[in-house]
Amino acid sequence: MRISLTVNGQRYTVDVAEHKTLLRCLREDLGLTGTKEGCGMGECGACTIIFNGRVVNACMILAVEANGATIETIEGEATGPGLSEIQTALERNNSAQCGFCTPGMVMSIKELLRDKPKPTIDEMKEAIEGNFCRCTGYVQIIEAILDLTGRSAEKGELKHV
Amino acid sequence: MKHNFDFIQNLLGRTVYIDDLPEPANLLHAAVFTSPSAHGSFAGLDLSAALALDPTVRVLTAADIPGQNQLGTAVLDEPMLAEGVWHFRGQVIALVLAGSRSLARRAAAAIKLVGAADRPAVTDPRVAFARGDLILKPRTQRWGDSAAAFALCHLVVSGRADSAGQEHVYLETQGAIALPDDSGGVRLMSGTQGPSGVQKIVARVLGLPMNLVEVETRRMGGAFGGKEDQASGWAALAALGAFATQRPVKIYLSRRDDMTSTGKRHPYSSDFRIGLDKDGKILAFEADYYQNSGAACDLSPAIIPRTLFHAAGAYHIPNVRVTGYLCRTNLVPFTAFRGFGGPQGFFVIEAALDKAAAALGLDPVELRRRNLLREGDVSHYGMPHEGVLATETFERCLARAGYPERRAAIQEYNRTNPASKRGLAVMPVCFGISFTKMMMNQGGALIHVYNDGSVGVSTGATEMGQGVSRKLALIVARALGVSQTAVRVESTRTTTVANTMPTAASTGADINGMAAQLAATEIRQRLLAFAAASLQLDPASLTLRDGQLFADPEPAAGPLLSFAALVAKAYEGRVDLSAHAFFATPGLHYDLATERGCPFAYHVYGCALLTVTVDTLRGRYQFDDAIMVHDTGVSIDPLVDLGQIEGAFAQGLGWAALEDLRFDDKGRLLADTLSTYKLPDGHFMPRLDVEMLQRPNPKAVANSKAVGEPPLMYGIAGWFAIADALRAARPGLELAYDLPMTCEKVLGLLTGDLVPAGPSGGEAGR
Repeated sequence: MRISLTVNGQRYTVDVAEHKTLLRCLREDLGLTGTKEGCGMGECGACTIIFNGRVVNACMILAVEANGATIETIEGEATGPGLSEIQTALERNNSAQCGFCTPGMVMSIKELLRDKPKPTIDEMKEAIEGNFCRCTGYVQIIEAILDLTGRSAEKGELKHV
Repeated sequence: MKHNFDFIQNLLGRTVYIDDLPEPANLLHAAVFTSPSAHGSFAGLDLSAALALDPTVRVLTAADIPGQNQLGTAVLDEPMLAEGVWHFRGQVIALVLAGSRSLARRAAAAIKLVGAADRPAVTDPRVAFARGDLILKPRTQRWGDSAAAFALCHLVVSGRADSAGQEHVYLETQGAIALPDDSGGVRLMSGTQGPSGVQKIVARVLGLPMNLVEVETRRMGGAFGGKEDQASGWAALAALGAFATQRPVKIYLSRRDDMTSTGKRHPYSSDFRIGLDKDGKILAFEADYYQNSGAACDLSPAIIPRTLFHAAGAYHIPNVRVTGYLCRTNLVPFTAFRGFGGPQGFFVIEAALDKAAAALGLDPVELRRRNLLREGDVSHYGMPHEGVLATETFERCLARAGYPERRAAIQEYNRTNPASKRGLAVMPVCFGISFTKMMMNQGGALIHVYNDGSVGVSTGATEMGQGVSRKLALIVARALGVSQTAVRVESTRTTTVANTMPTAASTGADINGMAAQLAATEIRQRLLAFAAASLQLDPASLTLRDGQLFADPEPAAGPLLSFAALVAKAYEGRVDLSAHAFFATPGLHYDLATERGCPFAYHVYGCALLTVTVDTLRGRYQFDDAIMVHDTGVSIDPLVDLGQIEGAFAQGLGWAALEDLRFDDKGRLLADTLSTYKLPDGHFMPRLDVEMLQRPNPKAVANSKAVGEPPLMYGIAGWFAIADALRAARPGLELAYDLPMTCEKVLGLLTGDLVPAGPSGGEAGR
């Protein structure tokens, strides 16, 4: 089936099989391999993208469902020669280790900050609860979000009881 | 930019992992057909339905292997493709190739076994032990006379401690791409911690000399030990496919296949006996560790000694007898996982102390304090402890936590909250650094300074997220007096640095960093000698720093030359701008017959104090905070080390509390996806307070210390903190030392539905 979709502001028209996931379409047909496959079953969050303004796991959506959709992926995050604001905060806090969860994590943070510019720490944890990171223990990621929301002073208060 | 390029590319999503590599036009995708049960036999395979799916489908079995069908290293007991019999569920029987991944997986699912019959399976290591089914003979370490010492003890307690396995859950599953090479061999891109190990196994399976097999590892999306030996089989399958078809072959496991078919942390079941004097000083300790090794040897014989070396934890015990048994069962071959047998050993000694403290009526924190290692104490393997920081890290940790007041506040909280109880636990750590197999403590580096002044570094180290590339770039940059961004850390290739060891045992930066520093220093000396000769200056007066050459007696005169200009002149002057260096950790010796020696270059110390709140109606708990004081040496990159400390702690806490790796009695893994295997998330993590104690360590590169594994042990405090809270809720509650302490288990203990496991109790596979 022929579909048209807009990814990171660019319009694509591709022929896809009906059973192909959006994740595989992005990676194989559009060459956008920044979005990763960690499980293919909607469980790990490595393939998180923004789909018509909401974060979704790209492995849980069929490419044909994306006909006419507007999609944001990690490749569209940094618009200049350097890092985006989110990426800069992640860099400053050493929030990426192996890097495999990072693209999806960035997408989840992006949507969080768009919806709630001043999230609570609980809301930050909720926003990334679908994104597994096996390397960092998450604290350095939350610290980056605190930086992004102008609350660096609260870095010692990552308490959740 | 401050960091090396890899880190920035990670954030941009531009790093390339195995499945992101551009696919050659004639690529074949691989899938595997695996065994359906824990043990069984078969007469053959019915491939008709699989082959009928598509003309590109090709199925390879053991009969198609040109070399040896063997993945084993220490013991040759692990066929790559099962022949006639299988020994665990998920064992690979056939390799399936097809033009697309989905086609390959559909074809694999269409294969049928012919003449298959299940055989009895053993999943419990104690049952295997009782049957005498040991992979190798047991190992015993003795120090003093524990039997005699028990007779002198004021108190002797004994018990059993069980710990479950743990799934690595590296986010990138196992994968490799193999390409046929016009030399008649193969080239591979492999997600492995040990490219030379993959090279050796591929050469053996294909019947080729090692020089016809080239292996490159750019990076891994996490590994944690799971891609040490366990990456080799998947790479060798891809290589077999490429060799047989003369087409490129890619294998990239589905998460379920990865969780079902790859090794994990070893489950252990152990018995302990501990004796103390009336002041709580430990006089004697004995333990028997029944390691569930799984169906094949893998790295188990190297993991057992690390359990034994860490049997005494961070404590001095004058009389010790500890024995480790490698029990063969019909579960997946268990393998390396961060800590490598150490965590299992630590859990047992901590369980013993927990039980002893209760019997003595002594504060468990105080009991631990009284037994900490001191300078000059000799370990139970005969190694004198030097530079001991056990007491210092312990006391600093307690001071940061405000210990006596914290305990009082918890008691007050527990007195006034009927449905919620708090508990705490302290966890001191002493962890030996070096591969316990002595020959593995070697590494090489090759540095090229290109004639524009940029620098490329190759070593045996592989990058899996632990930041070894950042450390290597810093070490080389400092040695050459250039900025970190002028240094590129190359992918790890068998043709560049050969005969390397896997990046493991926390030693990646220690060994490869030292080799890189030696190679960089060699080039620096050549450049300075050349500059001195051409400028007619004393070489001792010249220094390289900040990308410039200076003549030090007259610093005000400014730089003489830029590094790039010096390199360009040296190139014209026919100076060798490349250097290879080799490093073997000095001072190591060990006598296997007497189990005595000096197996470690040094030890890493530290202490954590963890507080938890348990909801005693629902069994749920939340870790409140963790205070850690960790001995990092002079940190080469403090942000990297902090990330390692926090990440390792999270993994240890997951193992101790949350991650429930359970097999049924038929050897089937019950949690084989990430929806059933619960991993730590942001909510699970407590507030962290980490102090890096930076005392210079003369035994490692740049006075640093290895950091990868030791902080994982802090997570064990999670188990004991919950136990502390449970005892506040149910005074006198008897707990089985059975890790992990899941919410389900907590609720069972609170309601009385879960009784302590007897000698024959416990769940299968533990």
